[in-house]
Formats: sequence, structure tokens, C-alpha cells
Amino acid sequence: MKKIKLGLPSKGRLKDKSIEFFKENGFEIMDPNSRNYFFKFKNNTIIEGIYLHAREIIERLNDGTIDMGISGLDLLNENSDDYKKRISLNKKLDFGFATLVVAVPNDWLDVQNMADLEEISFEFREKNNRRLRVATKYPNLTEKFFLSRGVSEYQLVSSLGATESYPFTGSSELITDITSSGTTLKENNLRVISDGQILESSACLFTTNKIKNINLKDLK
Amino acid sequence: MLNPIDKKRKIEDISKFFLKYFKREGFEFVDLDLIIDTDLLTKRSGEEFKKSTITYKDLSGKEISLRPDLTISTAIKYIQDKNTKTKKYSYFGSAFKLSLNGKLKVFNQIGCELINSKQGQEDKVIQTFLKSLKKYKKKKVYLGDIGIYNSLIDSLDLPERWKLRLKRHYPRTPYFNELIKRLETNYDLDQKKIDYDYNRLEELKKINGNKVIAGRKIQEIISRFEKKKKDPRDNFIGAKSAKIIKDFLKIKVPAHQTEKKLVNFFTKHYLRTKLLIKALKKIKKLDSKISKQYNCFYQSNLGREIQYYTGIVFSIELNNKEISRGGEYNNLMKTLGYKKQINAFGGAIDLNQLLN
Repeated sequence: MKKIKLGLPSKGRLKDKSIEFFKENGFEIMDPNSRNYFFKFKNNTIIEGIYLHAREIIERLNDGTIDMGISGLDLLNENSDDYKKRISLNKKLDFGFATLVVAVPNDWLDVQNMADLEEISFEFREKNNRRLRVATKYPNLTEKFFLSRGVSEYQLVSSLGATESYPFTGSSELITDITSSGTTLKENNLRVISDGQILESSACLFTTNKIKNINLKDLK
Repeated sequence: MLNPIDKKRKIEDISKFFLKYFKREGFEFVDLDLIIDTDLLTKRSGEEFKKSTITYKDLSGKEISLRPDLTISTAIKYIQDKNTKTKKYSYFGSAFKLSLNGKLKVFNQIGCELINSKQGQEDKVIQTFLKSLKKYKKKKVYLGDIGIYNSLIDSLDLPERWKLRLKRHYPRTPYFNELIKRLETNYDLDQKKIDYDYNRLEELKKINGNKVIAGRKIQEIISRFEKKKKDPRDNFIGAKSAKIIKDFLKIKVPAHQTEKKLVNFFTKHYLRTKLLIKALKKIKKLDSKISKQYNCFYQSNLGREIQYYTGIVFSIELNNKEISRGGEYNNLMKTLGYKKQINAFGGAIDLNQLLN
């Protein structure tokens, strides 16, 4: 059988859970604690593994450098629909759960839902002669969601991290971000609005479309 | 079919004729920038516009766009030149837009704009276009007025927030249609029960109202909170209003019948005609000046897809194809950075369509 290049997340819980998932399916990584970016499974010559950043896994599946990988559904959906022509969802996994949500400052008591946000976005523009700024790491998903809810008067601010701080540093008025328990949002005086769930995400096993029907058993 | 070189030559020849005519009518030629600061466009149309505009980042990371429209470029020119008085501009050039499937469309346009003039000058601009197109026979002129649409919405029995939505989203047809569906079924986005945080409200009331939380003053938050509680959210019937709006948007009559048709329409649906009568003044004036010479119609949904139109819109057709379009855009200048709202009216001829 042709060799399969597999990308796994390079750090954190996502890495540990991915290794565990493969172990449960009979693929045990040789020397899992090594700092080498390349890995192999015991008694397996078909799979050649590489650790990559979760975003990178989507990119490399898209350009065909790897054939299979574990990453977040949110990261695939953030890209253009064109990516889905080349990447297939093989299996949703039961870890890496997170939800992309719209969050506003706690004290914006009058903003409870997207309809409120739609209203205040127009008011904000009229008063300030500029648009509400939305800080996010997910500009495409945010844009699609906002426009589908009639919120057109906003401006995206690209964030690389610590997005929760943006509304309180004058960099944006609200944010969209990934949350799992909501604790970080709460601790940063932010509140998820009632119908502001953009996407429910989890880790997924993705393959390129060329091998979309492949079963892990076939790789033993 | 002309080959590209002949077509280009022909466009240039025609443009010389029009520019000469516009000059005679007092419109001064301006050479417009090909590139626009993307921020200015985002201010006007939001992030949505980027899908249809070719945008780049320059070396400093600033986003710039190829001009999608020559009216906007003219408005920017007026502001950049620090004008304060009436200006009559004419221009000629290409505008660049991406279609929904990402294909580039280039429009060769020639047009004129009247900026910061007194109200009621629309007929002069429309007449300029019509006279410049004198040699093209059997033209049809279509008129519309966003103000009449707004007077309809204001006359409907709907909560204030719904009226605002139906006006604000009027140019965004797909979302507007969704809104109408929601209005028909009385389904709003916020069906979930809302637990208002009254405790925090009391605490906020004790803080200085001018304190800003993420761009909004506390007094603004409290005031909207109080207002929202009083505004009916779900206890109204929208189906009737939705039907009235849909029927209104189908109206198309010879321009001289506009008043009769619309007053009858309002009366039939038990709507107050006070706002309509006021809004009809502009169309009536235009009709009196244009209908005598041209085949002129009123079309209620005309020009709705251009976000910056605020009042009168016009379209000129030749052999059932639109060759020219324009309208009133009184809010655009302020949106683009001018110190106050001023009157502006203009339009353009689509040279590609004219050649066809």
C-alpha cells in the first residue's frame, strides 16, 4: 500500500488526545515523548507521521502535502468553501470540544441577542461615525454569521491571542472567540449573547478527498 | 462585434462627445484616483463590500482597493480638495467589481455629479443625461424614490425597531427577503427568554453615566435598556405589513399616474397618506419636467441595490437595456468623512452597454 502521511497537533491536550485516539485504534507511537517532529507507529510501515500546528494541518491537507490529519472543525470551516473540495471529514472525535461564540462586555445589559447587536451597530455608527469593531481569530466564520443575522455595520479586527482583552483596551467593542467552559470569558467580564453560537466544534480526523473512504483498519 | 482595439477607440470617441457636452452644461472634468483607501469603503458598506472589491495590502499593511464605483471616487475627491461650495464634476473611467463567483467585471463609465447643491436640482442632472443621449431614440426613463418607500414603512403598524430594520436593510435584497419572511411568520431572532440583569442595572445607575464601556456610555446602555423593555417584541402581527411591502415593491406605472396609484394603494390598505403626499412632491416635479418629452415610468423598487441612494433614483433604458443610472446620495459625503450631511446627486452612462 502507498505510504500515508499523517499530521497530528504538535502540542497541548489536542496532541495528547490525538495520540490516545490512535492508541485506542491499535496504533502506538514509538517514543511519544521525543521532541522530534517526525514520528512512526510501532509495527507499522504505512504511516509516516509529523507533528504540526493544528492550523497548519488544514493547510497541508489542502495542498496535499499530508494525506490525513487531526485538527479542529472550526479551523476547516474558517477557510473558504474551496478547501472542502479537497478535504473530507472522516470522523468527528470525542475531544477538543469548543464553541465559537459572540461575546459582549458584561455591562452591555441591553444587548442580549443578535437582534440587539444589529440595532446597536447602526446606532453606534450614527453616533461615532465608525463601525463596531469585532476582534476575532475567525474572520470568515464571524462575517458569515453576522451577515446572516443582519449585522452588517461592523469592522473586523484581526486578533492573534488574548482576544478577551480587546474590548477593554480600546482595540474592539466586542469579540468572537472559541470557548469550552466559558470561564475565561467570565473572568474577563464578557458574556456570550443568547443566540450568539457561531459553530460547535470538536477535533476531527480529516483526509484529503483522494482517500476519503479510507478506514484506519486498512492502515495496519 | 467590435475587436478590442476598435472597441477601445470607439469608447474613447464616444466619451469625448459626452465630456464635451457635460462641459457645456457646466460640469468640470476630474481625473479620479484609481485606488481608494479600503477603510473609507468599509465605513460606507461594511465588511460585506470586500467580497465584490479587489483589495490589496500595501507595503505598510494598509488596505487599498481598486475603485468599485466612480460616484464614490468623485465624493472622495470633493472631500480631499476641501471643497465647501457647490461643485459640478464630470468623469470618465473604469470601475472594477467582482461578481459572486469571483470573476472580474470592468465597467467603463462616463458620468456627472452635482455635489453640495440646493435641494430640487435632480431634474437638471437627469435632463443633462437625457439631452446628451439625444441621438439615441426610443429611450425610456424610470424614476423611483427611496423616500416613498420610507414613507410606506413609517405608515405601517409595526414596532419602531422593525421599521428601522426594514429601512436599513432595504438595499440588501437577500437579507431583506429573509426579514420579510420573519415578519410574515412573526418569527424574530430573539425568541429565547431573556433574563434581564436588574441587579447590575441598579449598580450601573450609581456610576457616572459618561463612563465608557467598550465604546458605549453607561447612560446610553441604561437608556436603551429602559426603552427596550417598553418596545413590544413579539406581540404584533406582521403578516399584513409583509404583504403590503411585497405588493408595493411590484408597482410600476406611467409616471403621471404615480400619485393616483400610490394614494389608492395606501387608502386600500388603510394607511395614512400624510407622509406619502409629502414624499411624492419630488417625483411629481420630475414627472412634470420629463414626461412631456420622454416615455417616463415610476418603479417603486428602482435603485434599491445601491446602498448609498437616499432619495430620487433614475434609470434610462434603450431597447429594454439599462444604459444609464443615477440617484440622490445625501448621506454618502458624511459617511466618507465630510463634516456634515450635504445634498448630492449624480449618475453615469455605462459605455459598454451603450456600445452594445
